[in-house]
Amino acid sequence: MPFTDQEILETVRMVELETLDIRTTTLGISLFDCADPDLESACEKVYAKIVHHARDLVEVANSIERDYGVPIVNKRIAVTPIAPVAAASGSQDLVPFARAMDAAAKEVGVDFIGGFTAYVHKGFTNADRALFDSIPAALQETEHVCASLSLATSRTGINMDAVGHFAEVVLETARRTADQGALGCAKLVCFANPVEDNPFVAGAHIGPGEAETVLNVGVSGPGVVRSALSRLGPEADLLAVSELIKRTAFKITRMGELVGREAARRLGTSFGIVDVSLAPTPAVGDSVSDILELIGVDVTGAPGTTAAVALLTDAVKKGGAMASSSVGGLSGAFIPVSEDSGMIDAVSRGALSLAKLEAMTTVCSVGLDMVAVPGDTSAATIAGIVADEMAIGMVNHKTTAVRIIPVPGKGPGETVEWGGLLGTAIVQDPGAFSCRVLYGRGGRIPAPIQSYRN
Amino acid sequence: MPRRFITAEDVRRAEGGRIVVEPETVVTPQALEAARVAGVEIQGASGTPYVEPTPDRGPDAARATAALPHLGEPSEVEAAGGTGVVVTAVGKNRPGILAEITAALATARADVVNISQRTIDTYFHLVLTVSLDGAQGSFGDFKTAMECLGGTDDYVVRVMHERVFRFMHRI
Repeated sequence: MPFTDQEILETVRMVELETLDIRTTTLGISLFDCADPDLESACEKVYAKIVHHARDLVEVANSIERDYGVPIVNKRIAVTPIAPVAAASGSQDLVPFARAMDAAAKEVGVDFIGGFTAYVHKGFTNADRALFDSIPAALQETEHVCASLSLATSRTGINMDAVGHFAEVVLETARRTADQGALGCAKLVCFANPVEDNPFVAGAHIGPGEAETVLNVGVSGPGVVRSALSRLGPEADLLAVSELIKRTAFKITRMGELVGREAARRLGTSFGIVDVSLAPTPAVGDSVSDILELIGVDVTGAPGTTAAVALLTDAVKKGGAMASSSVGGLSGAFIPVSEDSGMIDAVSRGALSLAKLEAMTTVCSVGLDMVAVPGDTSAATIAGIVADEMAIGMVNHKTTAVRIIPVPGKGPGETVEWGGLLGTAIVQDPGAFSCRVLYGRGGRIPAPIQSYRN
Repeated sequence: MPRRFITAEDVRRAEGGRIVVEPETVVTPQALEAARVAGVEIQGASGTPYVEPTPDRGPDAARATAALPHLGEPSEVEAAGGTGVVVTAVGKNRPGILAEITAALATARADVVNISQRTIDTYFHLVLTVSLDGAQGSFGDFKTAMECLGGTDDYVVRVMHERVFRFMHRI
């Protein structure tokens, strides 16, 4: 059956007017074979292996863009968590690994490389500790490297020592990159229940269960969903809203599936997953907040917002699951505050508090993302915010994350401009009260019981 | 199992001024530089100069490559063929637009398989399914040439591969 004009124009409109794009093609590369007792040799291997495998990545993505007329915005690399790779070197300073990753990223021309990562949800190895201590300098010195940390899982509980240490690392990173509005913190994220095939930064890395190399794709398209909902109008009931989002997510994901298959074929590697995530950008209309408002809340953050996020995330997952041979990653709706013009507007109108954001993260696909707080926020307060988010993930068996940016010299209500995809943030008030004793106790919060789930 | 890497440290330890590497081994840029400085020769197994091997994507890659054609794909649209592209033009209506577009298609030796046009008030949209089987140049060249037509206050042309529509609108 030939395509109808309506079908063809719908697709063209999605790409041209509604900012539908393939947000990222991310090549995962295992670095386990780069371990070496000699630090310098290990870094050489890391550089050589990344360049060896990713040399063609940008050209392949560009060729698909040319051949299919589909925009592919970012090309990225995700690698094995560096901590276990670096362990054999015994080095206390792992910044050389970050430099090697950064140099490799520059050489092959990718936007970001993720994987300066450690899994410490139950305890620290010496290498994990070294990685933690190296993060501030690594993020200060490098341009393309992203760091991520696993601090909690549903099976192991929350490593509160790691949460406390993460808070200190965030503050130190902010201090070191103060001249750029603490930009280093935008490349640093912590997780509960991290996914091992995440193609999106800052959390991109490939876990120990992944293959030698794998090609993952992230698709986005809040603008498409927003536009479809605006045509649906306010009379339709919520089942109709859910159905429309599902159908739209299906179509968006199909494009990711096509690009993923083609990119994997051209690179000669295996196709991993499509991560179908509504990831907003500061571009007008490319906003998850706008979608929530079209679903029916006056302003994002008003009562009803969490329910709207729940509907949205679920419908995106359902639509995506049917559309791809393998949906994975974080898949759902992202709510990065600074990157979404609608969210920033909601914060400036006083509608979206930190507390409401936290509530929304219980049902969104990630967590507190790109949230700016005052530069003088204490480590205890940041640790408390992180611990709350980790607890939500742990108890609900979901991935949650925190990407928090204490902006030096800024107080609540002040604005910080990062530009580009990172957008603009309004510094939010974490409140006057903290959790010093909880922070000081350290130790672990045990894993939750699996039955009696109410 | 062959060595995965030769590093600068391996070059420093090399004896006899020569390192023979196996076909799968990657020599790091630092090792190549160290070898050049120290006058150490790095050779492939058959005595030929070292060339970077084709990336070994791992044990899953071959299986994945073999499996890829078996993944279900929406059925092809009749007559469009695998090399079909969809050309759309949207903009303000005026005489001569269709002639401009089809002239550009003829220059590219593209064959029009299907054509449809509607006008709404002063605006129009035009959808052409085109086969590039006998066309000259690559898809990229064709796309660039077509998208140069029209202008901001006139009409815009977009070219996309037919497979995109097939994936999006057919199961």
